[in-house]
Amino acid sequence: MEILRLSLLGGLFGLDSTAVGQFMVSRPVVAGAITGWVLGNPVLGVAVGGILELYLLVSFPTGGARFPEGSTATVVAVAVGAPFDGAGVLPLAVAVGLVWGQLGGFTIGVLRHANSSLVPKHSDATHAGGRVTTAHLIAIGLDFLRAAMVTASGVVAGRLVFPSALGSWPLDRAASVALLLVGGGVSAGILLHDVGGFRRRRVWFATGIALGIVGTRLL
Amino acid sequence: MRRALTRTAVASAFARSFLIQGSWNYHTMLGSGFAFAMLPALKRMFGADPDELDASVARHLEHFNAHPYLASVALGAALRLEADGADQETIRRFKLAVRGPLGSLGDALVWATWLPGVAIGALTLYWLGFSGWASAAFFVVVYNVGHLGLRAWGFRVGLDAGQDVGMRLRDADLSGWTKRLQPILVLLLGGLVGAVIGGTGGLAEAGVWWLVLAGAGFVAGLLGGHKAWRPAAVLTVATIATLSVIGVLR
Repeated sequence: MEILRLSLLGGLFGLDSTAVGQFMVSRPVVAGAITGWVLGNPVLGVAVGGILELYLLVSFPTGGARFPEGSTATVVAVAVGAPFDGAGVLPLAVAVGLVWGQLGGFTIGVLRHANSSLVPKHSDATHAGGRVTTAHLIAIGLDFLRAAMVTASGVVAGRLVFPSALGSWPLDRAASVALLLVGGGVSAGILLHDVGGFRRRRVWFATGIALGIVGTRLL
Repeated sequence: MRRALTRTAVASAFARSFLIQGSWNYHTMLGSGFAFAMLPALKRMFGADPDELDASVARHLEHFNAHPYLASVALGAALRLEADGADQETIRRFKLAVRGPLGSLGDALVWATWLPGVAIGALTLYWLGFSGWASAAFFVVVYNVGHLGLRAWGFRVGLDAGQDVGMRLRDADLSGWTKRLQPILVLLLGGLVGAVIGGTGGLAEAGVWWLVLAGAGFVAGLLGGHKAWRPAAVLTVATIATLSVIGVLR
């Protein structure tokens, strides 16, 4: 029953990420909180979603580009980690999410190829009105099924290996979070690179760091 | 010949624009989604003549691509052109002309600036000690104010200006907005870095070596750009897997 609920959630988030609306409730920072709430572990959900969001900050659903699917990855990552406790849960759940995000991205590519043969060709538009609507709705349905199946398979596979992988995790909680932040630092660097680079933006960036540090002292 | 463009048909096209990427494919990209969004209005305009309806659907089934939010600009303008009785070639050329700019403007403004900016804002709130729900709610509300505003504005501009929408886009100066938002994005990014360093459970608490490693990661991203992302993700997963194996063997 829980797998069904998670698949439904993954399917809905999968739709939001490209096919329907793009309100971005499927972004890890939101999807993680919702999945954690559904599974009764909102703290892990928010933490996993926050870290995956940091990693996927520079991954956008642009045009025909291949991108990791953050929505299903977040549901899978939170779902495999939620029943467990300990310092290793967060890094292992994030690792599962990063791997499953690649698989989700691959299935998006497969579906888009399938859609090519599903939609009516403009050269054969006889009675195309009805066929356009049917093909479009079928494609949306297939996307939902795809995301739901990616989620279900990820949760099942992840829960099989997760307990043994958790073992006796060698890092403490602070070091485990720091390990993930090292990778997150790369995303932050890429983002600064994209918006002008350090030399051009150093004053804004340094001011931000100072405000961030002061904020942690005040709040 | 002018054709009736009812309020219902316009509202239906706008509502359907939220599904424009539903059948995204490598052959026509947004083409079939564009035809799907236009369909109720086309039926209203050409429903009496099945051949003309088929021809109108066919011209919107052709290859089209743009940023999904700014596709509403082309959608509104195409509705206006159809209602004004523009010929097939004019509509085709118009869509060819706008798809590139609507893609690049939207990618720069939304995907590369607005989305990461609001996400960083949400993550910063979380690291500053706000609850996860507050951060998530901040992201959903702020992001969608911009998202829905852009979609509605774009559709209205397209519908009003029709073929002259290029001039309205130039006046709106979307690339200027992107440039103005970028320093704020950098300020927020700096704020997040500061909060991650100084916050509870942050890098400063983990120890100086973690701070140095994170700094090295940041420099790698800064120098390598997007090429650095995949190796960094692979390295992270490989490190976690190795540590897990060490833990299991101990």
